Amino acid sequence: MSERGVRRFVEALLRGRRPRAFHAEDSDVPELRAAITLRAAAPGSDAPREEFVTSLHGRLAAQLDGAQRAEAEKTPATGTRRRLFVQGTAIAAAAATVGVVLDRTLTSVTPESPPTGQTLTPTTGLWRTVATSEELPDGGVRPFDLGNVVGFVQRTDGVVRAVSGSCTHQGCRLRLDPPTRRLNCPCHTTAFTVSGELLVHQLPIAPAPLPHFQTREVNGAIQVYAPPAPA
Amino acid sequence: MVRSLRRAGDEPAVAAPQLRVVTDDVYADWEAVYRDNIDRVYRLMFAKVGNRLDAEDLTAEVFVTALGPLRVSASVGEVRAYLLATARTVLAGYWRRTLGREITTLDEDQVQVVFASSPVSADSRGRAAAILAALPQQYRRILELRFLKSCSVREAAAELGVSVGNAKVLQYRALRRAAQVAEEVDQ
Repeated sequence: MSERGVRRFVEALLRGRRPRAFHAEDSDVPELRAAITLRAAAPGSDAPREEFVTSLHGRLAAQLDGAQRAEAEKTPATGTRRRLFVQGTAIAAAAATVGVVLDRTLTSVTPESPPTGQTLTPTTGLWRTVATSEELPDGGVRPFDLGNVVGFVQRTDGVVRAVSGSCTHQGCRLRLDPPTRRLNCPCHTTAFTVSGELLVHQLPIAPAPLPHFQTREVNGAIQVYAPPAPA
Repeated sequence: MVRSLRRAGDEPAVAAPQLRVVTDDVYADWEAVYRDNIDRVYRLMFAKVGNRLDAEDLTAEVFVTALGPLRVSASVGEVRAYLLATARTVLAGYWRRTLGREITTLDEDQVQVVFASSPVSADSRGRAAAILAALPQQYRRILELRFLKSCSVREAAAELGVSVGNAKVLQYRALRRAAQVAEEVDQ
């Protein structure tokens, strides 16, 4: 029992000071916890100070405005990346408990992720039809499977684009969630937008955005440039 | 924000839209998130660490960490759950750095409680009251004087009619007893 440490900790709480670090034993825990519980119940002591609320607001404004500037300059801020996603696990756990789909809040800071993936360019390719124009109204998304490649084709503001349907992490096949227009990976809670940008992940390193297909619309047919059909 | 989501059209090849348990309320911007939650997060942290300076630092850490990746399009419930999940990680990190033991923790099931209409302080007061009520009178009084009324040892001793030395010993024993009681209360 670290009696001295506990006593000093309690004394600091009672004097409204910051307790010093010490190596607590398991047997100290209940007493420390009880001291916190009792102290936290002191009337009038638990509201945040006005100055604190104001100064933190200022700090956040500076930080968030800075982030926006970085976005404008397309400055990668990879240093913070890993940390953000470490949080992901905890959030997912919370989501599971409350039964709420929280994944949108896991969203990465988009300025850090490259906005688009590479263009998939087969050495030998063909224009292959994946949908008719009527099948893809504005705002629509459609999965396609050409045998050797799978993907999703979508139309936004009149423009047709197609992305790969395989997760860039380990190749699991993405599944479209129509209400959210998201492409979810069944393997590791990774999700992409229908335009291929990474939305959410819980991996140590962010997977790359989805590769794009070259896409065209000819005579009512939507086509992607893909490897020839398997024989 | 289910309203703003576009349906994939009449798409037979994909599954029907899944129901999502989300509220439609969203925050206008990060400042709205901050204004609405700063008080709760601070009170929560205060209840877990029992001192203002650490509570302020940890609250700041929660918002600095959380607001960066947060998309404002998330619903109020999602934002709060995210703040709480962040708070839990921040609190765990704090104890790891300072005492090497998790003295207090934040449970996921507190999401509802923390952001329910009643303030966090009501909960911690209730627990403190339950602990104190289970103690012998002298123990209860010394703890009330010292912890709740913020009396010095000298003042508490005078109030109880004992010497300063006795008051210190009394407080020490009372807290140990309170710790035992608290463990029983929690179970």
